[in-house]
Amino acid sequence: MTRALRSYSAELLLVVLIVLAAIWSSQLSPYFLDTNNLMNSAAFFVVFGLMAFGLFPIVVQGEIDISLASTLAVASVLFAKLSVAGVPVLVALPVVLATTAALGAINGLLVAYAGLPSLAVTLGTLGAYRGVAYLLAGDAGVTGLTKDYTFLGMSWIGVVPSTVVLFLIAALVIGVVMETTKFGRYSYAIGANPDASRSASVPVRQLRVGAYAIAGAMAGLAGFVWVNQYQSARGDNADGAILFVLTAVVLGGVSIKGGSGRALGVLLSTLLLATIQTGMKLANVPGTSQTLVIGLLLIASIGGPQLVSLIRTSVLRLRRSAQVGGEAGA
Amino acid sequence: MSSSTRSIRIIGAAVAATLVATSLAACTTTPPGTSAAPASSGASAAATKVFMSPKFTGLAYFEVARKGGEQAAADLGLDFKYIGSDKAEATEQIATLTNAVAQKPNALVVSAIDGDAVAPALRTARAAGIKVVTYDADAAADARDLFVNQLSYELAATTMLDAALLNSPDGGLVAFISASPTAPNHTAHVKFMKQAIDTNPKYSKFKYVDTVQFAADDAQKSQDIALNLMQAHPDLKVIISSSAVSAPAAEQAIINAGKGGKVFATGVALPSSVKDFIKSGNSKAFMMWDPAELGYVATVAAAQLAQGKITAAKGTKIDCGKAGTYEVGDNGEVLYNKPLMFTADNIDKYNF
Repeated sequence: MTRALRSYSAELLLVVLIVLAAIWSSQLSPYFLDTNNLMNSAAFFVVFGLMAFGLFPIVVQGEIDISLASTLAVASVLFAKLSVAGVPVLVALPVVLATTAALGAINGLLVAYAGLPSLAVTLGTLGAYRGVAYLLAGDAGVTGLTKDYTFLGMSWIGVVPSTVVLFLIAALVIGVVMETTKFGRYSYAIGANPDASRSASVPVRQLRVGAYAIAGAMAGLAGFVWVNQYQSARGDNADGAILFVLTAVVLGGVSIKGGSGRALGVLLSTLLLATIQTGMKLANVPGTSQTLVIGLLLIASIGGPQLVSLIRTSVLRLRRSAQVGGEAGA
Repeated sequence: MSSSTRSIRIIGAAVAATLVATSLAACTTTPPGTSAAPASSGASAAATKVFMSPKFTGLAYFEVARKGGEQAAADLGLDFKYIGSDKAEATEQIATLTNAVAQKPNALVVSAIDGDAVAPALRTARAAGIKVVTYDADAAADARDLFVNQLSYELAATTMLDAALLNSPDGGLVAFISASPTAPNHTAHVKFMKQAIDTNPKYSKFKYVDTVQFAADDAQKSQDIALNLMQAHPDLKVIISSSAVSAPAAEQAIINAGKGGKVFATGVALPSSVKDFIKSGNSKAFMMWDPAELGYVATVAAAQLAQGKITAAKGTKIDCGKAGTYEVGDNGEVLYNKPLMFTADNIDKYNF
């Protein structure tokens, strides 16, 4: 029992924080605990959540991808263009997701085979893919999408928006893949120690490319949700979303150095961030304060584990020196 | 191998279970709980709640417009709130508007950062009985009741060219800096300026660089672009931008490069940001409108709509007291159309 508690301590902490944030938000604004508003707000975070779950396996492998929001823009613009061109949505979905998976795979190839640092590679493609989206979209962006491309954004299952259900399914799939498949187990191994994995004949390069391709596909799915919810697409779609996405992954207990973290944590941290943001927006907290809070959470979530281990070692050292001192006195 | 087949089975079962649950629950396309009758029409003035959402907060231009909104609130006894994020991102404004609807204001006054992407949120607001007035930057026409347009695109274009003529009476080569390819007003301004240079004899002394540069309302980027433009086109005379950030920044770059008084930047600018340029003689003219009065008119229109005093029908007169009377035109567009030209003679009169 205690072992289970300890192994899920990060998730438990997140649950406590979510409850606190919800209480705080309902104190900030009387409109927070309104089912419709909660559901509408949840739908708003689906786009970010999908990208966070795409980024999650990459971070577990000890790498990073900051180009995902640009990949989303390529997808949203492609979906919008195909819709206007009269292509049925069931044809467009596999085509666009394959395209964005390929964009992700390009990142993966440059990282795994060319051996380039992932931050630099995806900083480059962040600009390049954004440029592609602008070129495809043209100056005015794309509007006038057909119903089949926007249906999901205007349908509810009970009181839950369909896009939220889609997100939960996608999150579940990624979670199961990371927990039970070879891909998942190897990803943790690569993140913990890439050299040891390589000498244990783990196909490190293929798995890296695979993780980036999955992330690309998830960003593509996020692009699909985008056109469903916003019925339009532009080159600048979701620009700047990566701060939220990266914060969600790291705050979820996924170590930025790789090798650890669970899907449940990412889901809970997305929920926590969504609660905090919705609360602040409902209370009309000034924009600068909102940005500050998210930025501080990112630093705290990266610095938190570091701080804990620092305290732990210094306590141990103190104890040891106290023991030594005691022995000398005796 | 066995573990991956097992996981495929688990995933399959999970997805199947979700799908079954999904199909069992009735899937609807009517948003839950939107049948509530609009509570706004006919609400008393004291209770009228108006939210103003700029593209993003912290930009001087929007802060001046906010003062106009606050003045209108004081004059009409409105419950006025200024809401938004400091990040210039469409998602931020969508979240702001989504959460604004939940607070049940009577009217929203919005400058849309992406007029199509924020449209669903605005439609939700209208479905909930909230009146929507856009100012500065419009949203999709069916997502708002009225659009208070500071200047028609044509008038803005010719006013900027007039400012260019005041700077460079002999004409010459002109280059354009816009915010982004997705800023519809900037795109339209450039289109009409090119058209006027091509067809209007008054501006035939100008030639233009066809490629438009984009500076994303960023001062640093604007300076960079201005320097590059001067390097690439040694005969460049005027840089024109309808971004109130880019126009002064480009002038600063010109002065830094020692070309003040020979090359000119002009276009839209807050008078306070170009006072020094005009006083020092490096620049002869910039243009704008009064953002405070624009915010005032938009807020008054929103309040009157919410109170049922006016409708958005064409030909409706909107009495904004000391700010004048305006008429609703086609597609719910209200033209404010009061361009201001800032020169050495009048720049001291303006304090925004």
